[in-house]
Amino acid sequence: MDESKVLLNSKQKAGNFIGSFGLIIILLVIFGFFSLLIPKVYFTWPNLLDMIRFSSFVGIGAIGMTFCIMTGNFDISVGSMLALAGVLGASLVPRISGVGGVAVTIIAASLLGLINGIFVTKLRIPAFITTLGMLFIYRAIAYIYTNNNPQYIQDRFWISIGNKNFLGLPLPIYIMAACYGIAYLLLRKSPVGRYIIAVGTNNRAAALSGIKVDNVKIWVFTLVGLFVGIAAVINASMLGAANPGMMGDGWEFQVITAVVLGGTALAGGSGSLGGTLIAALIIIFLKTGMSNAQVNSYWQQVATGLVLIFAVSINKLKFWLIGQTQ
Amino acid sequence: MIKFLKLYEKLGIFILIILASVFLAIVSPNFRNMDTILGIIMQGSYGAIIAVGMTLAITSGGFDLSVDAMMGLTSVILAMLIPQMGFALAIIIAILASCFVGMINGVMITKVGISPLIMTLAMAVILRGSSLLITGGRQVVIAQKSFMAIGALKVFNYIPAPIIYMVVIFVVFYILLNQTTFGRHIAAVGSNEQAARMSGLNVTVIKTLVYVLVAFTASIVGIIRTSQTLIGIPTMAPGFTLNVLTIAILGGTSLAGGKGNLIGTIFAGIFISMIYYGLNLLNVQIFYQFLSVGIVLLFALFIDGLRIRYLESAKIKGISI
Repeated sequence: MDESKVLLNSKQKAGNFIGSFGLIIILLVIFGFFSLLIPKVYFTWPNLLDMIRFSSFVGIGAIGMTFCIMTGNFDISVGSMLALAGVLGASLVPRISGVGGVAVTIIAASLLGLINGIFVTKLRIPAFITTLGMLFIYRAIAYIYTNNNPQYIQDRFWISIGNKNFLGLPLPIYIMAACYGIAYLLLRKSPVGRYIIAVGTNNRAAALSGIKVDNVKIWVFTLVGLFVGIAAVINASMLGAANPGMMGDGWEFQVITAVVLGGTALAGGSGSLGGTLIAALIIIFLKTGMSNAQVNSYWQQVATGLVLIFAVSINKLKFWLIGQTQ
Repeated sequence: MIKFLKLYEKLGIFILIILASVFLAIVSPNFRNMDTILGIIMQGSYGAIIAVGMTLAITSGGFDLSVDAMMGLTSVILAMLIPQMGFALAIIIAILASCFVGMINGVMITKVGISPLIMTLAMAVILRGSSLLITGGRQVVIAQKSFMAIGALKVFNYIPAPIIYMVVIFVVFYILLNQTTFGRHIAAVGSNEQAARMSGLNVTVIKTLVYVLVAFTASIVGIIRTSQTLIGIPTMAPGFTLNVLTIAILGGTSLAGGKGNLIGTIFAGIFISMIYYGLNLLNVQIFYQFLSVGIVLLFALFIDGLRIRYLESAKIKGISI
């Protein structure tokens, strides 16, 4: 590693710099900018904690998506998965208690992910379009199941997951830290990670070297579902309800932006969980800052689109500078 | 199997339409009436017109997820400009604005190398936000009643105008795709971009033009829809992109690129409209429409997947197709 760094020219150094420090600098610039602009609202400890608490929603969902994009696939149905699993779990709380509802939400989301995986691998169609169909199907089922009524959660256990503090820090922060810890071990210290990278780098080579590519993909889509389920539990807990229409509407966009902004290559093969985490923070810091500064919400929408295009362009620039082709 | 798939590619959508017609004719007495049939075709023309553009994009190996947002943008531009400059000029500006957006899509995809998925998805969000910004989130009523003629006119007091637009656009695009060098270049880029580039085609220009054409069709439908309601709606037709993609793929245009089937596209548009008509007869909620289109899309993808798989295996075995 050290030897190769010595041999880098200035262009490649710039590329590496964008990759490793660029995100942290962007995060600090955004935080600094809004802190100077609206110090009384933005630059406070409770607000900082709140922003990190909210970013857990995007951050946890983006873990599964990082795996998925690293295999060269895509799941655009996560927002609808979130809603369907959320309303399913929330509607069952009166019958099977809060713990049961949480379990149902996570299991249901994992199953939806599994269904996605089976469809994508068995149909042999680009994942984005299969999951685009699923985006509408899951959302429609969520509407039909609830008859378009929000499912309110009155259970104390479920509500406390998203809102209670432990040792001065909100619980979602611990959950997010645990998720990232497990995901890191999975990606870097276990065979699973090597399979994911192998499949993402070269499908055919992976298949020839004895990896069951289809199985890896199905598991990755199930993992997407698992993390979406955890995010659904936190989101429903923060809002106190699961709403079939509002819940997760446009969320897939934030999740994908977090992953891409975090430096994961859309072509698959390489990615960074740390980058995803910081990117999720960037998205929420920016969004909260704009809301606090009372920027028109339509401007915010335009800004989120621009951030995604910016993120992909920066990624392109990075790989171009390093001299790698995506 | 290959023979079956080839046959399906040519005739599948017609068989679906015949089955649906027989079913509807039995279930609903109204369906045996010409006005109802023209109404169904008109409802199908909105999706079919954009799907004609989308077929070109898929043939070139890409696609565009921002078409529904472009309809909203067109609608908003019309509503804001018609009171100031009359509708002829407003329509021209609305079309040009859409084409410009399509050009940005094309340039970013070809020059910066952003994948069509990300670029058009982000563009959809940006356009929705911009349209809402322009009107301040409101819907804008258009006072000029004469503007309504564009979408609600009946030719010979009988055929709704959107059907005529659909036929004209179909004919123009059919000739463009199948009879001109530009059309052959689109197919060449779609089937093998590298080879197309090597053989001296200007891939950047071809692909960019394709995205401009998609935007053009989207703005036409935006104009028709706005004129029918006389309201500028920034959030017009949410989720309509899925309809359009479903129509194009169901019509027999393969996602693998290189092969566009415009006749199939038109009939697939009408087929989707028949499904909606059938669902309305059942009096079900609108959510079932999303569900049904999603399921039809999965079915179309399943057939397309089979086709790709069998063509691959046929190639390996050396069977000429």
